Amino acid sequence: MFNSNRINKRIKAGSPGRSGGRSGRALMVQRNAMESNEVIAQKNKALFGRAFVMNFLSSPGSGKTSLLESIAPVLKSEGFKTAVIEGDVETDLDKKRIDGLGIPAYQIITNGTCHLDAKMVNFSLDNLDIKDTDVIFIENVGNLVCPTSFNLGEDMKAVVFSVTEGDDKPLKYPAAFYKSEVMVINKIDLLPALDSDIAKIKENALSINNGLIIFETSCKKKSDCGGAVDEGIAGLVSFIKEKIKLKKNEYLRSR
Amino acid sequence: MLNFLFSDFMHEFSIALEIVDTLEENGYLDGVNKVNSVRLNIGKYSGIDRNYLDFAFQNLDDDRFKGVLLEFVLNDSDEIRIEEIMVD
Repeated sequence: MFNSNRINKRIKAGSPGRSGGRSGRALMVQRNAMESNEVIAQKNKALFGRAFVMNFLSSPGSGKTSLLESIAPVLKSEGFKTAVIEGDVETDLDKKRIDGLGIPAYQIITNGTCHLDAKMVNFSLDNLDIKDTDVIFIENVGNLVCPTSFNLGEDMKAVVFSVTEGDDKPLKYPAAFYKSEVMVINKIDLLPALDSDIAKIKENALSINNGLIIFETSCKKKSDCGGAVDEGIAGLVSFIKEKIKLKKNEYLRSR
Repeated sequence: MLNFLFSDFMHEFSIALEIVDTLEENGYLDGVNKVNSVRLNIGKYSGIDRNYLDFAFQNLDDDRFKGVLLEFVLNDSDEIRIEEIMVD
């Protein structure tokens, strides 16, 4: 497990005063402020090799781990080598759930930090065997703001949204929807008990990013024989399989 | 209470540290005693709260940034760019 105390160590105790201003020597910088993270993200991308990497973002409790428990066994049963990097503020409970599927997983514990960054993922790659892996799922810390700023070297961000969160969530937290290529509307089995309007959720999300590919899923329907029962899960798995194939071809062409 | 406050600002603390690291790693802070101001270009989809970012800089454990003035230019992207710094 990776434990991060990077941020906590660099914050000063006590209250500050302000003395700065527009004086002194001007230095033109003109750089991406996230460049430090970006450099490591590109290293991660190289280390991922031919594996297709999907970074799942969401609020806490939207069902990211349940979604992985629904998707990963199907891919595994079809011969796709899968690995999972878990990110949580505390505990390795999610890793244990993935371990239970017989799928390699690594837990990053951020110790209060609200997102994964490229450095944390880079460290995890020293401790997770991803050789010949077809697909790597990164389950980011449950948070719809902070994880959007940090490229981890993934091929794609996917935002998971549960129907209990309110139709206006995409408008309130636009960055996660703007930066994702996929939106998974999860827990649709709860719709009969809610006032949620799925058409409105989609309309709001598409008003932020009209290129979003949307899947409606329920992780409650399980299959005994490894295949996906839920239509949305089956659609998402097919989408991922296609992306695995494209990434592999792209990787082989580049070598 | 402290935990609540800290988690609220955590994102901007992380961004402040990324900015410092980017400046440091590219040599902009070599020989610099004090950074007086930082001009940033911030996208509306960057998820940054300007007040929180200002608060984060005021609380960094780095004397070079003590009292630094942040200036913001806004845009419609998801980027955060460092445009210019004023240093002693």
